[in-house]
Amino acid sequence: MDRRRVQGPETSVVPLPTQEALAKRAALPAPVQDGKRADGRGPEDIRPIFLRTGLISQASGSAYIELGQTKVACAVYGPRQLKKQQGFSEQGRLYCEFKFATFACKKRRHPIRDPQEKEFSQIIVQALAPSIRLDRLPKSVIDLYVTVIENDGTASCLAAAITAASVALADAGVEMLDLVAATSLGYVHQQLLVDCSAAEEAYQQHTDLILAYMPSLGQVTHLLHRGPVDWPPMAAVGGACCVHVYLLLMMHAQ
Amino acid sequence: MTTSVSPYAFTAETFKRVQPEEYYRKILEQDVRPDGRAFDACRTTIVNAGCIGTAEGSAVVRIGDTTVVCGIKAEVAEPTLDQPQQGYFVPNVELGPLCSARFRPGPPGDLAQLVSERLRSLLYVGSSKVVVLEDLCIEPEQAVWVIYADLTCLNYDGNILDACVLALSAALKDTRIPRASLDVDEGIVRADEQATQPLTLRPFIFAATYGIYEGRLLLADPNASEEPLMASQVTVCLMEDGQLAALWKSGGGLCSMEQVQQCIAQARKRYTELASLVSSSSSN
Repeated sequence: MDRRRVQGPETSVVPLPTQEALAKRAALPAPVQDGKRADGRGPEDIRPIFLRTGLISQASGSAYIELGQTKVACAVYGPRQLKKQQGFSEQGRLYCEFKFATFACKKRRHPIRDPQEKEFSQIIVQALAPSIRLDRLPKSVIDLYVTVIENDGTASCLAAAITAASVALADAGVEMLDLVAATSLGYVHQQLLVDCSAAEEAYQQHTDLILAYMPSLGQVTHLLHRGPVDWPPMAAVGGACCVHVYLLLMMHAQ
Repeated sequence: MTTSVSPYAFTAETFKRVQPEEYYRKILEQDVRPDGRAFDACRTTIVNAGCIGTAEGSAVVRIGDTTVVCGIKAEVAEPTLDQPQQGYFVPNVELGPLCSARFRPGPPGDLAQLVSERLRSLLYVGSSKVVVLEDLCIEPEQAVWVIYADLTCLNYDGNILDACVLALSAALKDTRIPRASLDVDEGIVRADEQATQPLTLRPFIFAATYGIYEGRLLLADPNASEEPLMASQVTVCLMEDGQLAALWKSGGGLCSMEQVQQCIAQARKRYTELASLVSSSSSN
């Protein structure tokens, strides 16, 4: 039992929807109609991005990103000295803690991090470490904390987190090779959709891709893919979207 | 001593880091605070409600740089045996490592636990509760609503208690829970997402915190750099008609009866400001 938090009942559940609502949900329209998605986007359009740096004044660097309804805050602390018990490291270390706020998803998340959140933390580290000059930071650690305030598409949350974390690192003045721009793609009803919302993720998905890319170096830092797919067109669309995000970041930097 | 600055003199920034107390005292002598505020001035306060679509109710509060997000989630559970008609209200504050370098990763620290407990204790002030728990009943002895109020701090710049009380009030006002009923045959609760209703709430409680500097000066809304310099802090929680809901004094410094009276008088003014902010914050 967790004695450090105010306790509620032992178990609680989300109530089931009414029969009528269930019937309505079963008869969903096709995700793309006349070349337009439910929110008026084309299949290969990302949602509008809002990005702000420096909102978390206590951190060395920070970024807040909105991707449609998806909202992610990211703070960087460091580079700071590695603790004694963490041992010696010739290269700098990157540590990431990714967390969904308990109210961020349709179903309430537990305040303690679950395996998915730990996996996402690792992915962010792997996606960003190649872009940072860690060889210049011996005996130090950079801490990266990411909190998702609203989840409108879990894959898009991860992509937004990678992008925001990269911008926050730049805001903290960490020496980097390039900014990392990330994007998410999914196949819904044999249709390639970029940057899926939560409503689109609710369709049966067999294929998805999260791509983190350094456009000016032309290097992929991380790629997470699942499902059978015709690879070349998916990679082309993913790359183009990363470049699009990157250009927005560059515009923000000016 | 000539007028030229000695090469060994501190710049203001260094002086602040090396001798924070002396730095602070020198500035207060000019009847102003380091950030340019008057003694009784609070920082700019912003309330924005209804900004998180996945929560049943939500609010973002900024007091200066201090930022708190409150999200309300409603779930269904069995009531306790001794209170078969009452729902649950579960407030929790999360002061994660994201919001300041002073917090470490891991379970909630002392400050987060303290603020959570204070929020919970505010529920049981006076004759009626902030959230009317009897109205959260779906079916006596079978099913009731659980209201989870989670507050996440995004930026810690002092006075977290005021920000949390304000965010909680604004989010509760914004909350709409679906109409639910127990399906007796199946033994499950079904909720109609289309037909939502607001919570039954008692008039709001707002908090105002004052730092007492050297037992003589009252400083409203202390920020993170001022807080450690205050020997004691007084938090006044008021209800709608100016009635006292709670009074907390922390720290060991001296604090006279007149100063407490002064705090309450200033808090009454602050209450009207906050009440109008919350009433105009709603998106619907």
